[in-house]
Amino acid sequence: MSLDNILNHWSDYRKGAEEGGHHDYEHRWAMAINLDLCIGCNACSTACYAENNLAVVGKEKFERGQAMHWMRIERYWDQQELEHPEQGASFLPMMCQQCGAATCEPVCPVAATYHTPDGLNAQVYNRCIGSRYCSNNCPFRVRYFNFYSYYESSWPEPMEQQLNPDISVRDKGVMEKCTFCVQRIRTVKDKAFMEDRSVQDGEVVPACAQACPTSAIVFGDTMDEGSVVSKLWKKHQVERGVYQKTKLAKKDADLRGYRIFEELNVDPSVMYLERVREDI
Amino acid sequence: MVVKNRLINPGAGFVRTGLAGMVFLVMLLMSSMAMAVKYDVVPPSGTHTGEDVPQPIEFPHDIHVKDNDINCMYCHTYARRSKVAGIPPTSKCMGCHKVIATDKPRIKELTKYWEDKESPLWKKVHDVPDFVHFTHEKHLKTLAFDREFPVEDIKEICAFCHGDVENMTVANKVKPLNMGFCINCHIANKDLGAPGDCWKCHK
Repeated sequence: MSLDNILNHWSDYRKGAEEGGHHDYEHRWAMAINLDLCIGCNACSTACYAENNLAVVGKEKFERGQAMHWMRIERYWDQQELEHPEQGASFLPMMCQQCGAATCEPVCPVAATYHTPDGLNAQVYNRCIGSRYCSNNCPFRVRYFNFYSYYESSWPEPMEQQLNPDISVRDKGVMEKCTFCVQRIRTVKDKAFMEDRSVQDGEVVPACAQACPTSAIVFGDTMDEGSVVSKLWKKHQVERGVYQKTKLAKKDADLRGYRIFEELNVDPSVMYLERVREDI
Repeated sequence: MVVKNRLINPGAGFVRTGLAGMVFLVMLLMSSMAMAVKYDVVPPSGTHTGEDVPQPIEFPHDIHVKDNDINCMYCHTYARRSKVAGIPPTSKCMGCHKVIATDKPRIKELTKYWEDKESPLWKKVHDVPDFVHFTHEKHLKTLAFDREFPVEDIKEICAFCHGDVENMTVANKVKPLNMGFCINCHIANKDLGAPGDCWKCHK
């Protein structure tokens, strides 16, 4: 299905986001992150480490930029002219945006990263040869490369007991990134299949959304009209395929939704809701 | 290559008794034979010569399955409701073997385990790599239950990937269970909904 798509329908596959992407989707998983609620506590990042068997690389490698945090909190100062506590810190959780027209996909020489019928950017670890083209082509810098084999150093005994069996432990030379907790999606879909029903809204909760103390992260299927996430997208007038959104209505405090690098036509699946400041 | 022809609705006539019932039964049988459906799943192909796996007790599958006609899912009961088929607990063995064949040496061995409150450490024969997501329940639902495949013949479905276990003593791996084996079957059965997406199995 997917590999067929890549090999036989390359032009379809690269169809622009404005034409609705490259194939019929079963689901289109998406997120809405309310930055007004984000307190920058890093709980999401921690949950991600636990859920997805991420290696803890240590200070030295972190400084070299070899950290493996699929989800990171970016910190910005909104009012730099003020003194430190008043500088207006704002946080932005950054993870793979699961772009509809992802720039990482066409550059992979072995099709290890491809688009699934769920609208996700898949990364097949067994197929990856570690060329790192995808990472260099990603405008969000959210792909992480295993420069080392972390198995023994990162999970000393008995820590390896907490590894999640639903996702593989990646080895040296493999690219990895946020999967929207595909193992949870898979479990829920399997369960729905066994019960002869469709996946309900709110059933799939990624680790980051589950751990968020302020419920800033909402996850769901934008193909499902009734889901919380598609209602939020609609409410803030963020649409897939629309990449040069007129920001005229931006003054309206109710329209806070935006997607990062929307103008690059990568069609990200994560919508952020701008932070509200008193003086803006 | 297809499995045996299957009747739609097997066993529908069993409740009827008496001569009229018998006549009806024969007619029903004939009519259903006429509209017999072909079981259209294409089984996977490929063979493999597995090494002998020494088990703590030499379990004879042939005696259980062939001679005594015990369903695979009687012991491997988790196959229809979880990812793994499961190895039965010793209590399940003892459910029968408290009274059956208690004089046989292997049963004595088993009874000793039971009395010592220990489990025989059965070794895994059919194993897929850790990066593979495989579920027994979904395969059984699609291949058997949704297609009204008679549950008493489920061993024919199991044999797709596990080979002719009914003629084995200790189970041996006779199918390669590698990616080509899986994917060829999924391509052949694409029309029946077998997924071809990498992330369905790779995790």
